[in-house]
Amino acid sequence: MPEPVAVVRDVSVAFQGSRSLLDALRLRPAPPIRAVDGVSFSVLPGEVLAIVGESGSGKTTTANLLLGLLPASEGSVALEGRELGRLSRRELARMRRSVQMIFQDPYESLNPRMRVGDIVAEPLRVHRLLRSASEIRARVREALEEAGLTPVDAYLRRLPFELSGGQRQRVAIAAALAMRPRLLVADEPVSMLDVSIRAEVLNLLRALADEHDIAVVMITHDLSTVAAYADRIAVMYLGRIVETGDARTVLTDPQHPYTRALRSVVPIPDPSARRRPVILAGETPDPSRIPSGCRFHPRCPVAFDRCRTVDPPLFDLGGGHEAACLLVGPDAPGTAPADGGAPEAIRES
Amino acid sequence: MSGRGRYLAGKAAWAVVVVFVVITFNFFLFRVLPGDPAKAGAKDPRLSQASIAALTERFGLDKPTFLNLEPGASPFDSQYFAYLGALSRGDLGMSYAYRDEQVSDLLGEALVNTIWLILPAQLLSIVTGTILGLVAAWRRGTVLDVVSLTFSLFMWSLPTFFLAILLLVFGSSYLDLPTAGRSTIGAEYASLWDELYDVGRHLLMPTLAFTLVLLGEYMLIMRSSVLDVFSEDYILTAKAKGLSTFRIIRDHALRNAMLPMVTLIALNLAFTVSGAIQVEQVFSWPGLGDLTVNAISERDYPVLQGAFVLIAVAVVVANFLADMVYGWLDPRVTQT
Amino acid sequence: MTALVEVSAPTPSASARLSWRRLLQRPMGVIGGGMLLLALLAAVAAPFISPYDPYAPARVTVFDIFQPPSGAHLLGTDDSGKDILSSLFYGARISLLVGFAAAAITTVIGGLVGIVAGYRGGRIGIGLMSITDFFLVIPEIALQIVIVAIAGQSLLNIILVIGLLGWASTARLVRSQTLSVRERKFVLRARAIGAGDAHILRRHVVPAVLPLMIANTVLVVSLAILSESTLAFIGLGDPTVISWGGMLNHAFNRSAITAGAWWALIPPGFAIVWVVLGTTLLGTALEDALNPRLKRHHLERERSLLRRGGEAFLRRGSLAPGPAAPVLEVRNLTVEFDSPGGPLRAVDDVSFDLYRGETLGLVGESGCGKTTTILGLLRLLPPGGHVVGGTVRYGDDDLLALEPAEMRSIRWARLSLVFQGAMNALNPVRPVGDQVAEAIRIHEPRAGRREATRRAEQLLERVGIGRARYRDYAHQYSGGMRQRAMIALALACRPDVIMADEPTTALDVMIQAQILELLSELSGEMGMSVVLVTHDLGVVAQTCDRLVVMYGGRVAEQGATAQVFASPQHPYTQRLLGSFPDLAHPERRLEGIAGTPPRLDAMPPGCPFEPRCAFAFDRCREEVPPLYPAGDGQVASCFLLDPRAPSTASTAGAPNA
Repeated sequence: MPEPVAVVRDVSVAFQGSRSLLDALRLRPAPPIRAVDGVSFSVLPGEVLAIVGESGSGKTTTANLLLGLLPASEGSVALEGRELGRLSRRELARMRRSVQMIFQDPYESLNPRMRVGDIVAEPLRVHRLLRSASEIRARVREALEEAGLTPVDAYLRRLPFELSGGQRQRVAIAAALAMRPRLLVADEPVSMLDVSIRAEVLNLLRALADEHDIAVVMITHDLSTVAAYADRIAVMYLGRIVETGDARTVLTDPQHPYTRALRSVVPIPDPSARRRPVILAGETPDPSRIPSGCRFHPRCPVAFDRCRTVDPPLFDLGGGHEAACLLVGPDAPGTAPADGGAPEAIRES
Repeated sequence: MSGRGRYLAGKAAWAVVVVFVVITFNFFLFRVLPGDPAKAGAKDPRLSQASIAALTERFGLDKPTFLNLEPGASPFDSQYFAYLGALSRGDLGMSYAYRDEQVSDLLGEALVNTIWLILPAQLLSIVTGTILGLVAAWRRGTVLDVVSLTFSLFMWSLPTFFLAILLLVFGSSYLDLPTAGRSTIGAEYASLWDELYDVGRHLLMPTLAFTLVLLGEYMLIMRSSVLDVFSEDYILTAKAKGLSTFRIIRDHALRNAMLPMVTLIALNLAFTVSGAIQVEQVFSWPGLGDLTVNAISERDYPVLQGAFVLIAVAVVVANFLADMVYGWLDPRVTQT
Repeated sequence: MTALVEVSAPTPSASARLSWRRLLQRPMGVIGGGMLLLALLAAVAAPFISPYDPYAPARVTVFDIFQPPSGAHLLGTDDSGKDILSSLFYGARISLLVGFAAAAITTVIGGLVGIVAGYRGGRIGIGLMSITDFFLVIPEIALQIVIVAIAGQSLLNIILVIGLLGWASTARLVRSQTLSVRERKFVLRARAIGAGDAHILRRHVVPAVLPLMIANTVLVVSLAILSESTLAFIGLGDPTVISWGGMLNHAFNRSAITAGAWWALIPPGFAIVWVVLGTTLLGTALEDALNPRLKRHHLERERSLLRRGGEAFLRRGSLAPGPAAPVLEVRNLTVEFDSPGGPLRAVDDVSFDLYRGETLGLVGESGCGKTTTILGLLRLLPPGGHVVGGTVRYGDDDLLALEPAEMRSIRWARLSLVFQGAMNALNPVRPVGDQVAEAIRIHEPRAGRREATRRAEQLLERVGIGRARYRDYAHQYSGGMRQRAMIALALACRPDVIMADEPTTALDVMIQAQILELLSELSGEMGMSVVLVTHDLGVVAQTCDRLVVMYGGRVAEQGATAQVFASPQHPYTQRLLGSFPDLAHPERRLEGIAGTPPRLDAMPPGCPFEPRCAFAFDRCREEVPPLYPAGDGQVASCFLLDPRAPSTASTAGAPNA
């Protein structure tokens, strides 16, 4: 078993919430907001891990943790066996070379004034990884080729606005590849792209994992896009991982009521499909007001008394499949819904 | 506290801070600058011996500047605190040039005259500027738009005093209007109407000059603000709802388009002061500007100092009023 | 507006680059620049072109004073007998020197304060902005007067006072620009790369802020020149130099008016106007070139619609008759947008029917004309867009031929709209509930204020917002609630047809499900027809009875949803289905479609899909394919369906497995 590239252990991130000028004058501290609350996971080289969640789930904060852009308030983040919290600034900067990020919006994330060649070379220059201009040039060409932007000469001197969305996302990927990263964090890499060009970007990311042994963490709100591309899935709700496991297992046999609901509302392009979507009422609560007990219980269609008071940990369901729901725990009331049939809804949705 | 209350309290606190800083700044300005005009002034030969003694007593001119650090003395027994104390009583000292007159009396009289000049011109230019800007934006690209745009840019480039001179010459030679002052000197009025008529004749050209100067900028801002608002999606919604153009403008566009205008009117108050000084100078209008300029040439520092405080405070207060209007117009700053 | 994005797609964000070409395209810039250049030349060449040296001591007699223009003195003489033309040339030096020097001080201080305050934020930022706000509030002129009066009337003092007191508005502008750049994704990306502040400032922030600062500096020059002349006019100029303001001061105070010496007043006055106008024009043009704004808006007069002669129904295709008369019958709808290179056709010959109670999906990638189609048929096109052909039959009317007032009474009462971004579609300064009640009151004037309010409250209740939030504003709602409010608004008058333009894009999946359910529930309850514009085939499969697939502004295929999904006839439909992820078959790798949709300014002459189509043959490159019937009301615009099509291609083009 290879060493994991990244190990996140029991990490929490608390932000100071915003406060008004008047409160600031009274030196009244803002209430802390726990964006991520006790999250653990790891990624292996060549593995694609999808972190799935809605807005407010803490998935973007998790990405920033992996990039070392945010310190963990509690717990530890280790990259290639070295804990980020213990590194000096210089070491942290060096560490950052091996973690690269792909942003959601390829229209916005490239500087409109810089040419493709300079965009791809920027990380190399920032980290002074390569000294000579010719080395940099060679690395840039190599990266553009790997990202499928060939012939390279046709792209080097172009400005972002001259490229299509898919091409821009490839430029962003090339800039990441130029650093020869061990870990690639992709934040909603295709959600802004047209359906017809999503496949090429996703296929490229998968190929990078398979051929270059890069670990990929893909952050997304859309279960369906990751279905064919992720090895493992971690579903987040309100700062917690509520279910994780092998991608196929989680998608075909979800155990947490939230995953089930999420899965049931993903539209399927098949008019003949018979399905009963579980539409949850309301919206994800504000992370500054996390409900007691199981944080999902106010919206859960199968919640019962104990959910209000007990905060369930992740229960092991075998084969690396885990879910944080009292219904799958050892003391589950009545019949655990292992057969897929949800118990009688206690609360109308 | 409600959102609105918090917003207003914040703005009021800010206004108080600014006024206090201005007052303090004003104090030191006249003492730090070369020659210490405050002290030098108290020896001004134009003042009577008794006045000098009274002044020294009132403003503690023989005391330390900021804090009294002499043993036994109260630390607040200083010029600065004497100044603050006098100011809180509305005492701004005595004029050097107008023998022994109280500065506050001079300023009060001048302020009234200046308000006579500013207020009608401001109102007139805001109303016409808003309407012209609105129509120009609505009928963008038409002759009306091009003409008003050109006019505004030209007005903006015209120095206020030069426009005032042109109007002065025009008014006196073609309309037989008076060229100076607020009313005919030594005139006896048969009735109030006669007096108003006389003052009105004196006021006509200065007001016109002022209005034209402000109008250009208001029109330009309103036009670009309306153009922005007219291309917003909620205007399309209003149109899709079947509202007539008139109702779209009245119920959906106007309030949003006024927001930059309110900000500008507030920021423009400083500019208005500059305009007032110039117009009053040209028309010898006995207002604050005229008083200030005369104080400069007479080196009448107490008047200068008083005028500065008065103008600054007036502008701060007007700014606060503008903030209140803004908060009323735009719920986004007060309701969160 | 999506429609706007679609049209301007060719060159959206090359903006904020300072280019001479764009400046030279603006007559304002050319005129202003020319005026300023002339003034500069006069200033530099003053010693050579002035007939007299105004600084030279001269013996003046009474007869030299206020001489009218003559051969010896082209613009006459002033109160001290000096030649006005010469003083004018020399005065240009002072005006421009003060203007540029003060503007330089202002720009350096304002720029630094603005960039630091904007980039650093936090306490330093707040502190700097408080100082800036303070300087913005206190009246500049009063301070200038006081300081110059006390510190002395030297040219240096004047420059310093104007420069040091005028930086606040520049700082404000630069700060807000820096703030917005700092939040841009490419700066976040640079930070994620590990770049330090110095690198980010140098490579990303300053280059983005600098052009606007330059434009602002030019405007500040004009303000500084005005300030200088004002100070000089009120007698606070440097008495040792000749300036235009000073010339006016002398002339005015030494009775040029009573002497009738207009030549002593008019030339220096207009010299100031000349320079200030020149710089203002140049600065405004620069600003405009950097930040070109859409100068068109939604309230422009509609261009009169194309005169339609005899009906052109079913000119090119054959639509099978439906079970009943359609509510809405769109025929040959064609929309064009103005562009510098001539009109661009965004919607070309689109025809479809909408039946009572059905939900029709309008599907395609971005830029294929979906939104433009519905805005076109409602005559709500964004500025610059025009319907140039077609008919839209609603009842007995052709919507495209109605008078504006008639159209107004149909809008919303009969045909309403749910926009994509509800945040922008709701008026930010009016309570949401009021906006719902307003629609009722407009179309049912008899309902009265109280009745309209009551019904609006009911509607908010019905869409799950609750009447308690009637008086709240759009910014106080969450994204999902705004979209619900938009639906309540669309339902206000119980219309026959609701057009929903990507009503759930940018919303979370769960909220998307909530909104779609609400929409289908309510439209079912009220028996309304819905046109759902979306790019999401999954949504179409689950909510639409029939669908129209659009590509390149044309209808590629249409038919019953089940049928089109089961046997797509157009290669584009086939590929689109192939690239859509399907949770029911998680193992299937997506295929995608190579290439990009055609740009409006580079439409292929034949079938718009031809460049991306694997089955294309010669005819596809030359001719636009008509709609061919493919059984049971399904039609597709593809030559493979032509009975005379080459046999090889037709087998290849058979429905995908």
